Amino acid sequence: MSKIDIQNLDLFYGPFQALINVNLAIEEKMITALIGPSGCGKSTLLRCLNRMNDLIDGVKITGKVLIDGENIYENGTDLVMLRKKVGMVFQRPNPFPLSIFDNIAYGPRTHGNMNQAELEDIVEKSLRHVELWDILKDKLDYSALNLSLEQQQRLCIARLVAVTPDVMLMDEPCSALDPVATSKIEELMAELKKHYTILIVTHNMQQAARVSDRTGFMLLGKLMEYGETRQVFTTPKEIKTEEYITGRYG
Amino acid sequence: MKTKVMVCSFLFFIGILVPLTGAIAAEGSIQIKGSDTMVNLGQAWAEEFMAENSQVSLAVTGGGSGTGIAALINGTCDIAEASRDMKPQEWEQAKKSGHDVHEFKVAVDALAVVVHPSNPVKELTFDQLSGIFTGKIINWNEVGGKDQKILVLSRDRNSGTHVYFLEHVLRKGNEKGPEQYAPATLMLPSTQAIIDEVSQSDSAIGYVGLGYVSPKVKTVAASKMNGGPFVQPSKAAAMDKTYPIARPLLFYTAQAPQGSVKAFLDFVLSAKGQEIVETMDFVPLGKKE
Amino acid sequence: MRRFKEFLIEKIILLNGFACILFVILIFFFLAKDGLTLFKTVSPWHFLFGTLWNPLAEPPQVGILPLFLGSLIVTLGATVISVPLGMACAIFIGEIAPRWIRELLKAGVELLAAIPSIVIGFIGMTMLGPIVKNLFHLPTGLTALTGSLALAFMAIPTIVSIMEDAISSVPRSYKEGSLALGATHWQTIHRVIIPAASSGIVAAVMLGIGRVIGETMAVMMLTGNASVLPKTILEPVRTMTATIAAEMGETVRGSEHYFALFALGLVLFVITFFINLAADAALHQKQK
Repeated sequence: MSKIDIQNLDLFYGPFQALINVNLAIEEKMITALIGPSGCGKSTLLRCLNRMNDLIDGVKITGKVLIDGENIYENGTDLVMLRKKVGMVFQRPNPFPLSIFDNIAYGPRTHGNMNQAELEDIVEKSLRHVELWDILKDKLDYSALNLSLEQQQRLCIARLVAVTPDVMLMDEPCSALDPVATSKIEELMAELKKHYTILIVTHNMQQAARVSDRTGFMLLGKLMEYGETRQVFTTPKEIKTEEYITGRYG
Repeated sequence: MKTKVMVCSFLFFIGILVPLTGAIAAEGSIQIKGSDTMVNLGQAWAEEFMAENSQVSLAVTGGGSGTGIAALINGTCDIAEASRDMKPQEWEQAKKSGHDVHEFKVAVDALAVVVHPSNPVKELTFDQLSGIFTGKIINWNEVGGKDQKILVLSRDRNSGTHVYFLEHVLRKGNEKGPEQYAPATLMLPSTQAIIDEVSQSDSAIGYVGLGYVSPKVKTVAASKMNGGPFVQPSKAAAMDKTYPIARPLLFYTAQAPQGSVKAFLDFVLSAKGQEIVETMDFVPLGKKE
Repeated sequence: MRRFKEFLIEKIILLNGFACILFVILIFFFLAKDGLTLFKTVSPWHFLFGTLWNPLAEPPQVGILPLFLGSLIVTLGATVISVPLGMACAIFIGEIAPRWIRELLKAGVELLAAIPSIVIGFIGMTMLGPIVKNLFHLPTGLTALTGSLALAFMAIPTIVSIMEDAISSVPRSYKEGSLALGATHWQTIHRVIIPAASSGIVAAVMLGIGRVIGETMAVMMLTGNASVLPKTILEPVRTMTATIAAEMGETVRGSEHYFALFALGLVLFVITFFINLAADAALHQKQK
């Protein structure tokens, strides 16, 4: 069984249909990339998986999203549990205006009472996971806003790691970073893949080709093509896919 | 954007010009300023006077007796209305500024001591009143009432009434006496506020101009001497001087009055002027003393 | 020609700008000149810590401690009432309310700001006073609490609008980040949004206090103006502003009483100056 199974998903912003009958199965502990031109609905699709679209007024969603076999759009879905399980990394690093420690401890504190020793343990583990511990271990009470953008994005990933999700959704996580920082985050993703199912939205096709195992190509709200990354980039089935990856539009 | 800036600077210059032109326009009219107690009375006189003498214009404003006297000394008004005498310091300042100030008694204001209608106390001597307002007497049972703490109400210090009551009742006529209103005295900003508070609070006592007395409060008969005679406040009692808490209302001019100022003063003191005093709920001067 | 016009407009703006500063300096100068004259005859110690305010006595007693404490207790009371209410209202408007309720509430709050203080004083006198009197079985409803309640109403619009601005300007990404971690809406508000808006919130509180401490008309009508050292909030008190307003009209120019009122004004000026300074500092405070 796939980790995530999207079935017949339609999404409307008022009268505008942003997703049209999307069907997609995402495999566990792999990196799946969603590519496509701006406005094709790839970020919207990503945000369906932790129901972040619920925050927007006038959104209507039909269809099913099964995660571990359970439809998250079923009435009575616990959003807190869903978002704990399906975490998200945003386009711009968005650490809270709190200390580094409090940023990482935010999730664990939210989800249950932990004593200080447990929290310190989690903070250390999470920071080690994103290779920030050695740099920041003496600066834990500094404001997270003083870090470089790359470190901020790592911190945001560590913040997510601290709530032990199954799935990580990454919405163009490197678009605010320079090439060196980008390659470091990509290395980190390869590492994270061992523990998490990762879904990444990017409009950087090289990045998708470099890091992902599976790639989906979206256009105008439809999932045009989906398959192994190598296959999609070398022998695309759809003419539109080929035109996009060869740079005819986008 | 440009027009906004233009409008702003235009307003700025207008702001400078208006006071100037105002000062120029004022030269042709008589400025009357001072006591808030008297402002309505002054207005009534001025309206009637202007109806008869259309070439003269009068402007009456309040602000307090002190404000009026200060304006007189500074030369920004022609007549100062005052509900208290000018103080020695003010006489001195006036003399220094080269004024020869004249004082005119233009009406009388009787003050009624009022309590809640349910209060059994009917009469109070000056000694008792002084004791109550200075805080020496704090319970109604000390003056023949219920066992209840007295809530003392006064006009605030901006009021000539406050000063008059202090000098003539608390200090029993010795104007430089040591008596003071008790710190716990509530100082209310208006006579109406005193009426409202007395009508709501069964332990309250206060003083108001006779014209403000209403059925919501009860007046208390007063006596200067211990043992009486006690007199209820009324216009008649104030006119024949049997009621002891009545004060003169005054006009001050910087020089001996001349021209239209003199005409106005004569009008105020005439039978017609004194009739207006009565309709405004003050006490007319009565027969020439 | 166009150059000249541009030049002229620039200079006019410059002039206006300097005029504002000049006025402030002049006001302070005149206040200080008359206020400080008092200290030729009265020691600052007796002025600041004297417990008797009897300016009509001979010699005048001009201890402002009861007036200062009166202002303090009324202001504290109003702050304690208005800050939680204003904060709750701002959070509701900024974070929770649906759009149409938000617009309605904002309009309501703005309307509240437009009520003249004398009207609030009037309503306070006829409605609030009797309620306070009967609720606590007091001899009079004219107490510090009555004034505090009325002033709280006046401070709430200031507090709400500035706090709401602060809360709405918290980046959306903070909110999304928190929700995406599985925090509930309330957890997001109190752990991320309020800390992120804290400088604006502090500024709102300070400006609210500034509004309250300088208010005159309503307190004069509602607090009873008795110059006693207040022991509880249920007693009449006399504030500094009410004292100046009530006594300026009748005082003899150039008397000790007159100078004492200016000195009182100076004290008030200094207090509000520092409150505004604190608000400004809070507003421009950078995160560590």
